[in-house]
Amino acid sequence: MRLVVDLNRCQGYAQCAFLAPEVFAMHGDEALLYDPNPVADGEADGELRGNVTRAVAACPVRAILLELADGHAGDGPGGAS
Amino acid sequence: MTQDILRQILDYSNRADPYPLYKELRRTPVYHDGSGPFVVSTYYEIQALLHDPRISSDARNLASAADDPLAEPGEEEETVLPPSFLKLDPPEHDRLRRMTNRPFGPPHSPHRVHDMRGDLHDIVKGLIDKIAENGNAERIDLVEEFSYPFPVTVICRLLGVPPEDEARFHVWADTLAASLDPDPDADPKERERRTHDSRMELGMYLSGLIEERRKNPTGDMLSELVTGNSPDGTMTTMEVLSTAALLLIAGHETTVNLITNGMLTLLRHPEVLDRLRSEPELSVNLVEELLRYEPPVQLVPQRSTLADIEVAGVSIPKGASLWLVLAAGNRDPLRFEDPDRFDPDREDIQHLGLGSGIHSCFGAPLARQEAQLALSELARRLENPRLLADPPPYRQNAVLRGPRHLPIAVDGIRP
Repeated sequence: MRLVVDLNRCQGYAQCAFLAPEVFAMHGDEALLYDPNPVADGEADGELRGNVTRAVAACPVRAILLELADGHAGDGPGGAS
Repeated sequence: MTQDILRQILDYSNRADPYPLYKELRRTPVYHDGSGPFVVSTYYEIQALLHDPRISSDARNLASAADDPLAEPGEEEETVLPPSFLKLDPPEHDRLRRMTNRPFGPPHSPHRVHDMRGDLHDIVKGLIDKIAENGNAERIDLVEEFSYPFPVTVICRLLGVPPEDEARFHVWADTLAASLDPDPDADPKERERRTHDSRMELGMYLSGLIEERRKNPTGDMLSELVTGNSPDGTMTTMEVLSTAALLLIAGHETTVNLITNGMLTLLRHPEVLDRLRSEPELSVNLVEELLRYEPPVQLVPQRSTLADIEVAGVSIPKGASLWLVLAAGNRDPLRFEDPDRFDPDREDIQHLGLGSGIHSCFGAPLARQEAQLALSELARRLENPRLLADPPPYRQNAVLRGPRHLPIAVDGIRP
């Protein structure tokens, strides 16, 4: 599982840091720090996966791009905004 | 466009299905009948206004509320509590929201909401177990027995309100939520008095609790708000009171409706309910789609303009009252494909259900977890649930819209 956050889209809503605090952290009020590879390929961490999924869905500007091991990209940027 | 589409939207007979009215409203993206509020119903215009610094949430900036059917008469002079950050503009809004966020979320408390998952699960399990033990499978009111008690228990836990006091909150919360809603048949004086009394009682109760927590902090949010010390300083007792009252009411009335609207929608789409039973992870995207499709806050009626502005070619003067109809924007065909279809797999789903901009829902991460958990557990445990009334009876409220009761029958309840 690989994560990319489009920091140009990110508006500092911090919703991801609420829902997957082990992966996303706010540094100060606006800067986001995150672990780009929270679950190693082939590793099955169900809880962490669930948290990351929730974080991706909760981003109000859809700034988090999640790439699953099979190369399938989940939840990219939505339509125009 | 009929002269009184706003009256129709507020009319109780349209509560079960306001969406055709919103569709009509969107034909005039900024609707204004000459004396009432400016009503904005299209997605991009609402989104822009939610991020526009020339838009105020402070009722004191309204030139006149005479013709606004949702205006709150003289509330600011009458009330016991100072306005909460919901009704303030920067910089006061930012200062209070920052201080409230400190014990609630990142960067200072990144684990508070996440660590409530176990608690949330226990509360949900307890409520469904109770229905299994004492309920009548022929007739369960999901509102009374589940979606109403759940969020109030959660918010009381978060703040640190003792469980034995929860029942009193229901009464206060109901009255205060009703005050946000126009009721053409009610005597306005009487309503104002009831609202005022509820505020007083809630304020008195919380004052006692705040003093208690100041002396013996217990690690809950109320204790942290009272004893907190940040670059912004410490909240005054009055500020803590307003904030606690806001969290109690806002965190409660809205989530009840999100869960109830969710269950109603699932019962109307049994194929999705079946899927959720075997794929609980579907609940994540499903709740986002619900926030688009049946948002618990249908419109934001308390915004005003700080300058003359132009929206979609319409000039709006300074001091005008604005309604932002989130539920109409959520079904704008210029933004969403097939907007009237409920699609739990929808990928392009930047809804307005939790607002946007500096006032975007403070409790969003908690509400999401509550709704995801509640709906996936109900789907898993209720055997063959079916609606006994469709549409169910709705609450009066047009702004915080949702069923007052949701009577269902089941064949049984799984462990």
